[in-house]
Amino acid sequence: MRGLVGTVGAAMALFIFYAGLLLSLFLTMEKRDFFTILLAPETLFSIRLSILTATLATILALALGLPAAYALSRISFPGRKWVDTLLELPMIMSPIALGATLLVFFQTPVGRTIQEKGIFFVFEFPGIVLAQFATIAGLATRLLKVSLDEISPRYEAVARSLGASPWEAFWKITFPLAFRGLLGALILCWAKAVGEFGATVTLAGAMAFKTETMPIGIFLALASADLQKTIILILILAGIGLSALYAVRLVERHPLTR
Amino acid sequence: MIEVRGLQLEVGNFRIQGLDLVLPEGGFHVLLGPTGSGKTLILESIAGLRRIQGGRILIQGKEIQHLPPERRGISYVPQDLALFPHLTVRENLRFGVRGPGRSRKAEWDRIFPLVEALRIEPLLDRYPGGLSGGEKQRVALGRALAPSPRLLLLDEPLSALDPGLRSDLQQLIRSLHRTLRFTALHVTHDLEEAYLLADTIIVLIDGRVEQKGSREEVFLRPRSRRVAQFLGLPNLFRESVIDVAENGETLTVSFWGRTIRLPLRQASTMVRADRPVDIYLRPEEVMILREGKPVKESLRANIFEAVVSRIQDRGILQEIWVRPLGRPETLKIHLPNYVFRNLSVQEGREIRLAMRNESFWVIPGDEP
Repeated sequence: MRGLVGTVGAAMALFIFYAGLLLSLFLTMEKRDFFTILLAPETLFSIRLSILTATLATILALALGLPAAYALSRISFPGRKWVDTLLELPMIMSPIALGATLLVFFQTPVGRTIQEKGIFFVFEFPGIVLAQFATIAGLATRLLKVSLDEISPRYEAVARSLGASPWEAFWKITFPLAFRGLLGALILCWAKAVGEFGATVTLAGAMAFKTETMPIGIFLALASADLQKTIILILILAGIGLSALYAVRLVERHPLTR
Repeated sequence: MIEVRGLQLEVGNFRIQGLDLVLPEGGFHVLLGPTGSGKTLILESIAGLRRIQGGRILIQGKEIQHLPPERRGISYVPQDLALFPHLTVRENLRFGVRGPGRSRKAEWDRIFPLVEALRIEPLLDRYPGGLSGGEKQRVALGRALAPSPRLLLLDEPLSALDPGLRSDLQQLIRSLHRTLRFTALHVTHDLEEAYLLADTIIVLIDGRVEQKGSREEVFLRPRSRRVAQFLGLPNLFRESVIDVAENGETLTVSFWGRTIRLPLRQASTMVRADRPVDIYLRPEEVMILREGKPVKESLRANIFEAVVSRIQDRGILQEIWVRPLGRPETLKIHLPNYVFRNLSVQEGREIRLAMRNESFWVIPGDEP
């Protein structure tokens, strides 16, 4: 019993630690400035840009991550362990290093050709999406794989013996069964993309009204010693992130995602 | 006719090499074997869920081993049943009969006879999560049979049920099979289940078919020591063949220090002269002679004296262990209670045993 009390105590201590940090922001904030800064064109631009780029990066991560997760979860192929290991690279590599790696890549002949003949990434909007995508794609694949792993492959086996094609078996059986986990994984990745800073600033730079996502806005406000703006932007970012995390909890409980 | 010819399969260290199966249409075939004998792998290979390294699978002479599972017309019920938990029972049943251009009514017309036969109408709008074990089994059977498969594969679907429910479902499967005459390959390691359900039993041990035949053939006349041991048969006595008569109709074997002559049909075809054999005596075929009562002619050839070493009341019968006089062997006898009551059998008492020639079964003692 005493051990259990100890564990609850540890949980409460962590809660107090993070809540205390947020509280210090609230206490330092000039309340009358909140709406002024929130509704300022630069802030609204940052919020819009962050939401748009994070959504695009998440869609891209889903488009590539879901089939990859399916392959890693269901199919035994040569080099699977290597692929699985490399997917964890963004999780162990610092975001700035990841951004710098992308920057270096665009200096190579292949990277230069992509930029000259295709899309220009460095210091541009697509660069933000790419940096966020690079940060979350591995995580997305890993989380999507965990959701798929929870669904027995026997369901698909039976569905196929009943005449369903591989795609039908996935779409009608595995996907609805894994839906809650998949949606939770995507919301988490989206929240991580919204908060992404290091790779974005390295690849896309920190230009107001151009590549200024929320975290870059915080960085610019702090760099210009505007403490009130910094605090309010942090609170807005925390608000968006916490709403997303709360949405994950709701998804877990919602009857439609049973 | 469903045929498996020269099936080759390798999974980790386990290998199946050159396995042949022939399943006549409309039969209920049981693949019986111990855990790890490769039963499920064979089922998955036939269903197309596992890649095979070689061999052919034919349905009515047509090769299907290259077809994906959805084009084989083979339904599969795994051990855990895998009812789709997000679909109602009705939707589960419909899954295999949906098709472009097929109306709901047409689908229902195919499902309804099964719904009635399996008595699952009150369950149609429920989800599998709320069903009992027996209800789930019935729904899984209905779902697998709804598309009228060319072959139904059942992978130990009753193993998780308690004995009473298992027996009910065995009866239900039997009567369903009598009505619909579908072809089934049912995997189990349960001897009683195999005996109750099977038209033919295929005994699989270590990836090899050890014996195939009617349930009587397998249980009463096991082809090899391996099969007898897997079936848990008692009363296997290591002896030797003394002679096989030139006319090929009589076999002379040693038995408990004596020589007995048996018709050759009482021996597995693999028995050879001068080779060790195992002689199997079914516990219910051994008779205890009543003192002072004349002995029938047919029993006079094989009378042995023995001492009762143990009596065990098994409820529906009595299990009696006896030791032949001057011999180290122990023989198990099953006696119905009413017979036991009329015999004054007690532990430590000397008795006389008699066996008909037809009660002996001779198996090769060395494995091929």
